[in-house]
Amino acid sequence: MPRENPLAPVERELRVAPRHRLDLVNEVDADVLALQAELERRGYGPAEARRAAVARLVPGGRVIRQLEDRHRPLLGRRVLASGWMDRAVAVGAGAAAAFAGVVAVVATASPGGAGMTAAIRWLLVFVAALMAANLGRAAARLWVQGDLRQEERQLLWARQTGLIVAAVAAGALGAAWEGYPVPGTSVGAGGPAFVPQSAVWEAIGSVAGVAVVGLAVAVFGLFGWLLVTPRLITDEECERRIDDFFAQSRPRLTPDSTKAQSHAQ
Amino acid sequence: MQVTLSKRINELLVLAVLDQGPAHGYQIALAVEEQTGGSFSFQHGTLYPILHRLEADGRLRAEWHGTGRRRKTYEITGAGRAELAAGAAELEVQFRALLGLLRGCHAA
Repeated sequence: MPRENPLAPVERELRVAPRHRLDLVNEVDADVLALQAELERRGYGPAEARRAAVARLVPGGRVIRQLEDRHRPLLGRRVLASGWMDRAVAVGAGAAAAFAGVVAVVATASPGGAGMTAAIRWLLVFVAALMAANLGRAAARLWVQGDLRQEERQLLWARQTGLIVAAVAAGALGAAWEGYPVPGTSVGAGGPAFVPQSAVWEAIGSVAGVAVVGLAVAVFGLFGWLLVTPRLITDEECERRIDDFFAQSRPRLTPDSTKAQSHAQ
Repeated sequence: MQVTLSKRINELLVLAVLDQGPAHGYQIALAVEEQTGGSFSFQHGTLYPILHRLEADGRLRAEWHGTGRRRKTYEITGAGRAELAAGAAELEVQFRALLGLLRGCHAA
């Protein structure tokens, strides 16, 4: 089984944006190889030179924390330095609660707020709050801490997609529920199929009310998704390059002397 | 922000080496060790946070070279040179005072 690159655990532990992780592994790896070559030129054995180069240059735990502080996003540095982290979380939770409250007001103020439809509207409020929490957490990880790893990104996508689908489905179900009794009522009245125009408009209003709330929640989720997508695409690309880096790099006890010499110049 | 003495010395060591000419990270580490007779050395990657901090503060300039396996070269800036001169003078005063005290104690 091939030995792991000494930078692999550093990359795993370092919680900074992928572009900083990529830069760091490139920089340290090139330095380790060149220092190893230099030490070999000075009479060290290959394994001894490798060990000495790694010991000098590969960051340890305390240095990793220092690098995280250095490369944390500006917002994160300010928030953490001023002890605002708890307050930032509180503000985020407050914003999510306020949004859910607005949706709740819209849901209860619109016509037909009773029974099954009311339950669906409250379900939509709940879905909107979950969306806000999901996106808020991702945004905090990206712009305060700076790092959202692949597994967490996949979880974000899965949750957000599920919530968007749930919002659309709940909106459609509510609209269908609102719309269904209208023809039944007119037929049940026993007369000819005559429905007063005002009742038609009222029914359309009720159907549209639930559908619009469902769609609004879905659009909110979609826009939140679109907001974080450009950054996530950049991160994906950097992580692909990090994977390529570790796939190509194998433990080298005797580096390519030409490369090492050109680096040493 | 208060900078600890060891942090200050580390920064000045890096600036002093780069004042002699541009260098890669490992060359800085080696030069510090050699030019101080082994009294100072960077272990476990302690060099990189210092380099990145000095770069972010504008006291160093860094440049990436190469396309496949990229390498980073550091160069001191005007602000770095000014910092080096001021820091060296400051340390000289501090160490004179420190040695004066220590020698006084020793003599007594």
